[in-house]
Amino acid sequence: MSKRLMIEPVTRIEGHAKISIQLDDAGGVESARFHITEFRGFEKLVEGRPFAEMPGIMSRVCGICPVSHILASSKAGDMLLGVEIPPAAEKQRRLVNCAQILQSHALSFFHLSAPDLLLGMDAPPEKRNIFGLLERDPDFLRRGIRLRQFGQRIIELVGGKSVHPACSGPGGVHRRFTTEQRDEILSWIPEALSSVELALSRLKPLLDGFAAEIAHMGNFPSLFLATVSREGGLEYYDGTLRIIDDKGNSVADGLDPRDFSTYLGEASEDYSFVKFPFYRPLGYPKGHYRVGPLARLNVARFAGTERADRELREFKQRGASEGTAAVCESFHYHLARLIEMLHMIERIEELMHNRELFEDSIQARASLNRREGIGSCEAPRGTLFHHYWVDANGLMTKADLLIATGQNNQAMNMTVEQTARHFIGSIAPGTQPDDGILNRIEAAIRCFDPCLSCSTHALGQMPLVVEWIAADGIPLGRIARAS
Amino acid sequence: MESRWAESRGLRDANLPMRTLLIACGNPLRRDDGAASEALRHLAQAPNRVLRSVRQLTPELAEEAARFDRVVFLDADAGAARVTIEHLGPGFGRGASLPRSPLTHFATPAEIVALSRGLFGFAGEALLCRIPARDFSLSANPGGADLSANTLRFARQAAAELENLP
Repeated sequence: MSKRLMIEPVTRIEGHAKISIQLDDAGGVESARFHITEFRGFEKLVEGRPFAEMPGIMSRVCGICPVSHILASSKAGDMLLGVEIPPAAEKQRRLVNCAQILQSHALSFFHLSAPDLLLGMDAPPEKRNIFGLLERDPDFLRRGIRLRQFGQRIIELVGGKSVHPACSGPGGVHRRFTTEQRDEILSWIPEALSSVELALSRLKPLLDGFAAEIAHMGNFPSLFLATVSREGGLEYYDGTLRIIDDKGNSVADGLDPRDFSTYLGEASEDYSFVKFPFYRPLGYPKGHYRVGPLARLNVARFAGTERADRELREFKQRGASEGTAAVCESFHYHLARLIEMLHMIERIEELMHNRELFEDSIQARASLNRREGIGSCEAPRGTLFHHYWVDANGLMTKADLLIATGQNNQAMNMTVEQTARHFIGSIAPGTQPDDGILNRIEAAIRCFDPCLSCSTHALGQMPLVVEWIAADGIPLGRIARAS
Repeated sequence: MESRWAESRGLRDANLPMRTLLIACGNPLRRDDGAASEALRHLAQAPNRVLRSVRQLTPELAEEAARFDRVVFLDADAGAARVTIEHLGPGFGRGASLPRSPLTHFATPAEIVALSRGLFGFAGEALLCRIPARDFSLSANPGGADLSANTLRFARQAAAELENLP
């Protein structure tokens, strides 16, 4: 008799996630699914509102990556106006984009993932958390907080506040950048660089101890999609899209992000409310792809800054050593995140020395010139698309968002199944998985750093509960993972 | 000048009001989830009081909290039947087990206080104010507050109780 192992949330009101693991009669994993209840209410919320309001409204979707939504929304507005923004505005947008990615990655690595990585997946739950990290290495934790503060401070300087900053809108940005702001930002650089390099020096030696996790937590071939510069380097604000396969072969190059709906489709599965994006020419599910730090480092040919290029060359060797050319192990999202943090700090420093950042012209003025606008950028978790339709008065008639977390949905499902299959398969049939195994299943999702605030507009609590349920529906046991 | 001298030496004049940081957590786009921000709105401005309204509690709040004598967290609570204000003592939230969802990007009040104490030397008082909330549906007013009637009343009550803190 098959057994179904459910990891279900205790929801506050709505918006929840669930992991279901179907066991076979022998106690092995037959299948596993990661379910997200995605909230799609924003299409209704924005109807009838002026498109100029969209950056402000969209920034309130998420408290973790509001700037990404602001930028994608602003770019959609740029297209509606039919303008090219001034160089100073473009530089400011790049600056806050770098800051956003830096602070988000800092939160993900130091706060969410570090307990697993530094304290171990099998550490007791009462220790494998922020309190345990505080006892073991307070300086490390303090550095992580300071890195996030650095990113937040940049956003606050540019946008007036770090939460829902008014840093950008259709046509440009709202305030000029000053030399005083430059000097403050530059004063942070040495500490920020040393903190990330310390984190890299701490993580790399630990990776040998995670051989099983690296091999069996989301290690599979897939496509990778990311924005690149004209020369094929890392690009986070404005470029073309490139898709490669696990062998490193270019599947598509020079794709215009504004045409994304023509080459990216969304499939449905009956076990989930969330769509499954895929690359249309290859169909679904063959055309599934990954986005985010791992994808960006795989897709780009180089970084373009000294320290990040050095790390990227070493990173790419991991794929070469496995014979795939691309790094396919999802566990290496953690390493990719640190390399991106290094790159972001270097880019921020470069921007401080760019004279265009200080120019007076920050806004291109125009009236509505198009009825459809599309904006995209690289958000911390991957490529983000905003697609707007407006009427003749510039009032929104429709909005469609393709969010990074959703694009990783298929990969997260495959990761959960692979992780469960391996680690539950390693224990005696009929044995209840211990906390270490449960933690590994959760840690597998953590590799992707999903932002359910965006997809579910979460209320801040996303607890999970594991339930053992027999095929006849009788619950056999329960493991709580409350937040 | 005298108060700064005393402050630099870790001394505090008991006659001075406590410097308080109030942090409201929640998303006003989700109706009653904006209850905490609404409560802050009803608090009077005061020189010893700093108000913050955030979507999620994030670790950098720990450093800011350390600069105050008291930190108060405000949050909408679907499980609360009335407004409550409770102390977050040194051991609050540690317990024998602190399971954590992998899908969250926020810290709990207990974690913020623990970080503030452990990393930045916070030695003050920490409180948590829970405001009953029921409706978390999408707001029809993306530019402002849109609380249900009961939660609006609770938010004002919370503000009144916080106003009376010594």
